[in-house]
Amino acid sequence: MKITVELYGATKDLSKRNFLEFEINKNSSIKDIKIQILDLIEKSFKGNQDLKKLIENSAFCSEKDEIISENYKINEDQKIGIIPPIGGG
Amino acid sequence: MLHAKIIETSKEKIDILKAEEFLSSANFGAIIYFVGTVRKLNENKKVTGITYDARDTMVIKSFKDIYKDAELKLKIKDKAVYIEHVKGYVSIKEKSIIIGVGCKHRDEAYSLSRFIIEEIKKRTPIWKKEHYANKESEWLKGASIQL
Repeated sequence: MKITVELYGATKDLSKRNFLEFEINKNSSIKDIKIQILDLIEKSFKGNQDLKKLIENSAFCSEKDEIISENYKINEDQKIGIIPPIGGG
Repeated sequence: MLHAKIIETSKEKIDILKAEEFLSSANFGAIIYFVGTVRKLNENKKVTGITYDARDTMVIKSFKDIYKDAELKLKIKDKAVYIEHVKGYVSIKEKSIIIGVGCKHRDEAYSLSRFIIEEIKKRTPIWKKEHYANKESEWLKGASIQL
């Protein structure tokens, strides 16, 4: 299955395309996606601690704009959004 | 009555006159505008501008949710709310957000305006990248989103 993670705020530094794509197994959870992103930071960003912390402090949302928990299961190709700490106004 | 919109700064700017038109009503004895602008100094760094990023659909949803919550928590029945937030680059002194509220009385209007901006800070997925006079730029840290 393919999952697309749309990037916002500081997480846009992870890709020039504003999104990440991962091949995942059926029934993978948001926790598994987080691990994949942390692996990417390890490999492509020399384990940058600020980026890792950013991911640890981020929430995720579904295509319907609902915040989803770490245990949320992904059973089909879909897009999710990563919501790093916010600061509008 | 709610107006909620994201203003793409490459196409338009926040216009207070439009808020004034929207809020104009003989039902309201108090109208308040809160306008957020970009200031030139942040943590001793000379700021030249800010780029705002947003998840548009979720921003509008959060504005609607905040409006509904204001109704439940503040119990203000007759009101109008006008919220616009920018997305894209804004220079110092330019507007990043406008919250206009119209209510029967001033107590309600002040409470409502304050409630909305504080909830936006906690719940609305918007991010700021500051640009500095030394040509550097950085995403501000922010706070984890609250439900």
